Amino acid sequence: MDEAVVATDVAKRYGDTVALDGVDLTVAEGEVFGLIGPNGAGKTTLIRALTGTTPVDGEIRVFGSGPTTVDADRIGLLPQSFSPPARLTARELVDYYGGLYDSARETDAVLADVGLAETADSWYETLSGGQQRRVCVATALVNDPDLLFLDEPTTGIDPVGRRALWELLESLADGGTTVVLTSHSMAEVQRLSDRVGLLQDGQLVAVGTPTDLIADHGGRSRLVIGTAASESAVDPLREAGFAATAAADEVVVDGVSPVEIGEAVSALAAADIGYDSLTWTEPSLEDVYLQLTGERFEGVSTPGATALTEGASEEADEGAVAGGDR
Amino acid sequence: MSRSRRIRSEAVAAWHSFLRRRTAVFFTFFFPVILVVIFGALVRTQPTDGGLFAEPAAYYIPGYLATVVLFTPLSRVGSEIARHRDDNRFEKLATTPLTRGEWLAAHTIVNVAIIGLASLLILGLVLLLTDATIAVSNSLVMLVPFVVLAVLLFCGFGAVLGRVADTQDGVIAASNTIALPLLFLSDTFITLEQLPEWFGPLVALSPLTYFARGVRAITYAPAAGEPYLGDLAVVAALAVVFLVAGAYAIPRTD
Repeated sequence: MDEAVVATDVAKRYGDTVALDGVDLTVAEGEVFGLIGPNGAGKTTLIRALTGTTPVDGEIRVFGSGPTTVDADRIGLLPQSFSPPARLTARELVDYYGGLYDSARETDAVLADVGLAETADSWYETLSGGQQRRVCVATALVNDPDLLFLDEPTTGIDPVGRRALWELLESLADGGTTVVLTSHSMAEVQRLSDRVGLLQDGQLVAVGTPTDLIADHGGRSRLVIGTAASESAVDPLREAGFAATAAADEVVVDGVSPVEIGEAVSALAAADIGYDSLTWTEPSLEDVYLQLTGERFEGVSTPGATALTEGASEEADEGAVAGGDR
Repeated sequence: MSRSRRIRSEAVAAWHSFLRRRTAVFFTFFFPVILVVIFGALVRTQPTDGGLFAEPAAYYIPGYLATVVLFTPLSRVGSEIARHRDDNRFEKLATTPLTRGEWLAAHTIVNVAIIGLASLLILGLVLLLTDATIAVSNSLVMLVPFVVLAVLLFCGFGAVLGRVADTQDGVIAASNTIALPLLFLSDTFITLEQLPEWFGPLVALSPLTYFARGVRAITYAPAAGEPYLGDLAVVAALAVVFLVAGAYAIPRTD
């Protein structure tokens, strides 16, 4: 497969601040590449570097050309903080940006794709934040680009609109469009991306498929048992071979496969310990993010996975978890 | 074809954006109107008393036209660049086929249209509210290239200003600081005789001087017959220089 984007040793400084530090990146044609990382990690700077809108050190090739000399008809960009003229309608804005290309898609079709057919004749400034963002996405799609850069495309968009946009991006990817996107929504990146790169402090610290990253860095599946008798529940579970840890009103059991849930419940029943809830989670990209960025916060649980508190991790590291791995 | 399509698309968007900012439209036309009303109708010219406005009313037509030819492009193009930068529009445009020169061309076309209309309004008001008469001759048609070229010139200047000043407030402040002295010290409202002798060469440095002298040669009967093509050539040459500089100054990156 040909390469759509090749970045070699890309570096960028803003004064004393290092925005990008020796980033190497390759995105194949037709691939969806997700960039994740904390605020200030360099995601937007990298998008700007790849689109030639900020000068950087290092080498960047886009479809074999420099980022400022590549055929602009092949590129679509949604900048992160972008506001088009506020007193044009959604339709006029799509017409406007479409008019900048040699050929453009039908305006109505583009507006329908982003779910704005009904509000096409409203001024941009009168639309909701999510609708405005969808107009901005439309301006990136209007030239039917081969390579689409989307910097936080779903910011401010409601769940229904977000899912519609995901489906749109998936259909574009199925049609062969290369997509480079950034997002703080791990669910979004995990769902859409063929490969994911995690930027931290300007460095690409991990690159891989979501599956590989989760396998390598996401930790194990986990069963959280809600019970007031959490201290008492630990021993029976450990005796049954589970890696159980007591926390406030819950017991966390690591490395539990779905078929083992019944065994854990049986162990509790045998010890006559009741429980209020059972929550089984498998590791997600969010766990990878938290693991690699070291941004786990005490008491914070995350969708799709229950984050270990920092204290619990330390406990585990210190051998407080008995029973070993299963 | 593609180039004209891009310029047209940018110009149409800019035109609609301008028309829908009602305060911008109002003050764009209100500013020259109030100037004509204050100086032309209220203060009135006093041909025999000396001092300011001592010339016949028609003498000041170039000055009234200069208010829109100078202020409007400087502030509009400069502000538009600041607004584009604030909203990351240049970042978006940099990935489209639209070039910086095409962007400036589109916005210059819009300014030519706006200032053309404002100039007609000013001429009408001057004739209506003052006792000025315009010298009617075949040369009068040359008023059009003078206005158009001067707008081109100051659109280029405004683009440079928009690049240098980093905010919309900064652009407005800078354009006022530059435009106000130019407006009064370019052989427009104040004659050379009213200025110190040593200031004469400085007047020649102002691009607006050539606009004012050329327009006066066309519209002011006592100046009829004075050569104006040289002034037109200077304005045209400076328009090219400032447009090129302006196109180069428009930001493409951060």
